[in-house]
Amino acid sequence: MKKKLVAILLTTAMVTTGLTGCGSSDSSSTSSTATDTASTSTSASTETSSTDASAGTDTAAIDTSEHVVITYMTTGGAPTNGATEEMLEQLNAILTEKVNAELSIYYIDWTDYLSVYNLTLAQMDGTVDLVGTASDWLDAWPNVKNGAFLELSEDMLKTYAPQTWASVPAENWDLCKYNGEIYLMPEDNYAQWTNHGYAYRLDWAKEAGLENGVHSWEDLTTYFKYVKEAYPDVIPWDSDGTQYAQMVSGWISSHSNYVSIDGLNAGAMWGGTKDDLYTVYSPYMTDTDSLVEYAKMMKEWDEIGVWKTDVLNNTASDNREDYKIGRVAAEQHHTQTWTDLCSHKPGYTIYEDDEDAETGFFYFGEETQNVVALSITHGAMAVSAASKNPERALMVYDLLRNDPDCYKLINYGIQGKQWDVNDEGLRIQPDTYNKDTDAITTNFWWGRNDDLEIKDATMNWDAIDKLYAEYDKIKINYPYGQFVADVDNIQSMINNISEIHTNYMKQISYGKYKGTAEEIVAEYQAALEAAGINEVTAELQRQFDELYK
Amino acid sequence: MAKKEKNYAVESSKVKIGVSDMIIRGIGYIFVTFYSVCCILPFLIIIGTSFTREEIIRAEGVQLIPKEATLKAYEMVCKSGAIWYSYALTITLTVVGTFVGLSIIAMTGYALQRKDFPFRNGISFFIYFTSLFQAGLAPYYLLMTQTYHLKDSYFAVLLPLLMSPWLIILMKNFVKSIPHEITESGKIDGAGDMKIFTALILPMLKPALATIGLFLALGYWNEWYQSSLFLSSKVTTVPLQYNLYKVVNEVQSLKNSVAGQFIQLSDIPTESLKMATAVMATGPIVFLYPFVQKYFIGGITVGAVKG
Amino acid sequence: MGKTKTKVAKPKSGLSFWQKVKRSRVLLLMCLPAVVFFCVFSYAPMPGIYVAFVKYNYRDGIFGSQFVGLKNFEFLVNSGKLFDLTRNTILYNVAFIILGNALAIFVAILLNEMRCKWFKKVSQTMMFLPYFISQVLVGVLVYNLLNYDYGFVNSILGKLGMEKWGPYSDASVWPVLLVIIHLWQKTGYNSVVYFAAIMGIDAEIIEAARVDGANGWQKIRYIILPGLKPTFIILLLFAVGGIVKGDFGLFYNVVGKNPLLYSTTDIIETYVYRATMTDFNFATASAVGLYQSIIGFCMVMVSNFVVKKIDPDYSLF
Repeated sequence: MKKKLVAILLTTAMVTTGLTGCGSSDSSSTSSTATDTASTSTSASTETSSTDASAGTDTAAIDTSEHVVITYMTTGGAPTNGATEEMLEQLNAILTEKVNAELSIYYIDWTDYLSVYNLTLAQMDGTVDLVGTASDWLDAWPNVKNGAFLELSEDMLKTYAPQTWASVPAENWDLCKYNGEIYLMPEDNYAQWTNHGYAYRLDWAKEAGLENGVHSWEDLTTYFKYVKEAYPDVIPWDSDGTQYAQMVSGWISSHSNYVSIDGLNAGAMWGGTKDDLYTVYSPYMTDTDSLVEYAKMMKEWDEIGVWKTDVLNNTASDNREDYKIGRVAAEQHHTQTWTDLCSHKPGYTIYEDDEDAETGFFYFGEETQNVVALSITHGAMAVSAASKNPERALMVYDLLRNDPDCYKLINYGIQGKQWDVNDEGLRIQPDTYNKDTDAITTNFWWGRNDDLEIKDATMNWDAIDKLYAEYDKIKINYPYGQFVADVDNIQSMINNISEIHTNYMKQISYGKYKGTAEEIVAEYQAALEAAGINEVTAELQRQFDELYK
Repeated sequence: MAKKEKNYAVESSKVKIGVSDMIIRGIGYIFVTFYSVCCILPFLIIIGTSFTREEIIRAEGVQLIPKEATLKAYEMVCKSGAIWYSYALTITLTVVGTFVGLSIIAMTGYALQRKDFPFRNGISFFIYFTSLFQAGLAPYYLLMTQTYHLKDSYFAVLLPLLMSPWLIILMKNFVKSIPHEITESGKIDGAGDMKIFTALILPMLKPALATIGLFLALGYWNEWYQSSLFLSSKVTTVPLQYNLYKVVNEVQSLKNSVAGQFIQLSDIPTESLKMATAVMATGPIVFLYPFVQKYFIGGITVGAVKG
Repeated sequence: MGKTKTKVAKPKSGLSFWQKVKRSRVLLLMCLPAVVFFCVFSYAPMPGIYVAFVKYNYRDGIFGSQFVGLKNFEFLVNSGKLFDLTRNTILYNVAFIILGNALAIFVAILLNEMRCKWFKKVSQTMMFLPYFISQVLVGVLVYNLLNYDYGFVNSILGKLGMEKWGPYSDASVWPVLLVIIHLWQKTGYNSVVYFAAIMGIDAEIIEAARVDGANGWQKIRYIILPGLKPTFIILLLFAVGGIVKGDFGLFYNVVGKNPLLYSTTDIIETYVYRATMTDFNFATASAVGLYQSIIGFCMVMVSNFVVKKIDPDYSLF
């Protein structure tokens, strides 16, 4: 009898869940209809776009009689001060006039952002239309593969996002394709450098006898040693124990021509070399001597006291803030962060306390001139496959990215309130600006555009431009943009390899290992091998051969 | 009944106190005092730190007594005024959820303990089974959002926390200590099952209701998980603990993710802000216990029925 | 079930199913809200466990996605750590269950013996406080207590002229530390259950024992402890069901991501969390959950069977 009861109730449950099944199939059917309408209307309007392909003003020919709300999903905490809404009001007035649509922003808080972001996409009920994504840190390709994003046909792009279509070169569109279809609209016209390195006190480096600043890992050792002795109150670098992967990959860039493949795992453990791009290897297996040397140097740093003894649990540290007020002597992050630290901004007391204070940047790969430009899909916009108004979403995106008024509103806010232009044509904050009440949050990292950017007056452009020019001389473009690895059969190995890498590299990078450097590196490599790193390398090589040969 | 308990208390103090009682009480006072201090100290440290300047926290760690007291963190917390709406929301959810949940749990617990209820084992198993197998995140999320359309609805927070197998079985267990004779005597008097439950059983269940009510209330007060799944940025007022969860976890989650290699946070919450938010989020609920405790009054007096 | 039926419901044994339903319709109605609740929130999503066996595609939905068999389980098995992780998780839970309940019972009995009302109120309120401190802050507090450079313990050791203690590089002390932290955080909460259960013990029996000259210890030994047995067994059976499910918040926030300590502190949840960080995937997570549920289910079935053999009154179902 008990069994019977359970059976009855289970059946009820199944029936109820039948609904779930229906729910999801419903939404997938809506999504496919959405695609259908998209393609039909596209074909209908191809003529218009072909007759007037050059201009982005032919939107009048498209039916926009129905007023729609386009929801744009981005990562980051939602603002609470009301300033963003005020900006959106102005923006929506323009958007309504031009394409009869308005924008609403859907924030994914950083806390648990990966699960909430992916769950929202899996919902597939039109909750979001435009989706900010990134191939290296926000699951762009996995979401393309599991059907979250809409295929953007050339016709669609030409018709509804004509300015974007025209401004992105064909070879860049190729990098946004999977199985021959475009899924992403890349942020490919925005200069930013996210290659990592160390920001340090150039004035102190000079005191330490490094006249030209820090240009190698050995220089860093000298620098840290000097800081420890000369400024006993300063912690050379109050690391929180999370930079291990950047440090070791930086070391490898500085000692070889390794170019890594993005988005496979956090350690970027596979790649080729600048001279031989398409032969896959993992330097973590081959460059043993270099790794041993690295392990020794990090042990030395630990003994010097570069970081706190319990660095691996030091989660409360806020090294970057401490750098600004002179309590630490270095910060490990990317060039973008350095551009901020080297600028004399309000609250950066190191520059007030000491006239000579200067912030230099030692970038990883400097010794070997091994710098790779950012992948253009580091920021990209996609359209949700479940969007009920994909055409209008594209039209809105096209304006946000290319229309000067919309662009300034979404990126900077209202002129005169959040920003203004000074005599030199640089962007400043008005005197009335109050960070607490006026700051806006849009996190529009998926379509910034250097043609419309207004430079920030507070930045130290002399230093920045100099470094950027240096990068431009030596950089190579990210070579693997077209490669979207098919990881179905190797993902479980990659996961375990990442975990081993993290475990050992934390110990090695902070000099916390027991035994000799040779022993720990050997142990690490043996563990990688057992987890199948060679199989993964071979599989990637096979996929490389298919794509590039 | 209250009178009788009072008598009991007086009587028990009259009975001569033996050596072993003295020892047990002695140990009791010492141990409980020690343990209580261990419990309150960290909380005082959190309060102390919430008044400490940020640079001092980073250099010297948390503080019991702030070196230079500052209210800055609290100004930040209260700045937008949103926190008071969160209070109102959390209190409403807690009161409504506890009341509704407790009623259902008590009814179910009683019915499942009735020895003449033929389906009691079946239903007990049906309920218990759900504590073993959960569907997992994705199916649950999709059901709640696509089928029940509970996204951005406070019901998505209120409903799932109404009861748990654990609380129902616990209630069933408490009911067990009420003798079956009471139900029988009610039946003889011609009362229906519902009448027996409300008139005879419920008054005897006070300690159980207090305990389970307390657990339910704590559950609602501490809730952040359902909120993090179902309340999107479109909902401006969120429960207190979800606010706290966001403030406390934001930096950690970002630093430990791949995004941390690229994104720089501006205005990251300071340690003192985290502590101040924690103090505010704990708030009045700590005073719930003394209030509940008055229902923990000694012993069910079966004699009242028997005699 | 048969046993109980013959014992108690003998007069009704000849009734058909529908007659039984009719007889107990009020009791059934009393259970109805709860049954509906669990149907709606627990059973309805359950078939979705199927996601653990597919390559989940959002457009096709869970049931339309491609079936891949046990592929989603591969990563855990291939890690070579499945056994270690499961063992760690189970051992910690066993320690938490045994010591946690023992301490909770101990505290509840002590509180019951006290006569000073305000002391009871104040102390019990204080004991509840740790329950409110979020795990992240617990991690911060523990770090401030124990860290090598400026931790509270080490600054005292330093003042006493003793050698500093570095628990963050010594894996062997963490099982003890974690158990202590767990007990500190949960005992106040758990003791309430036992405290309420003591309240449920017939006051007359206690009184009678006193009159018969039983001393305090005898009263505890022969009346209160046996009276707490059913509650203990229920708590135990529930805990057994979750024995392979670890307290992620505690381990992740207190131990953090310090590989020097993993050998003694890594549990299934923390490992899976770290390893799948860059491969966010609902299917893998569901597969791991299913593995834990199945082991928990077997454990509960066995323990419930044993309990039922010994005394059917105490079994869960």
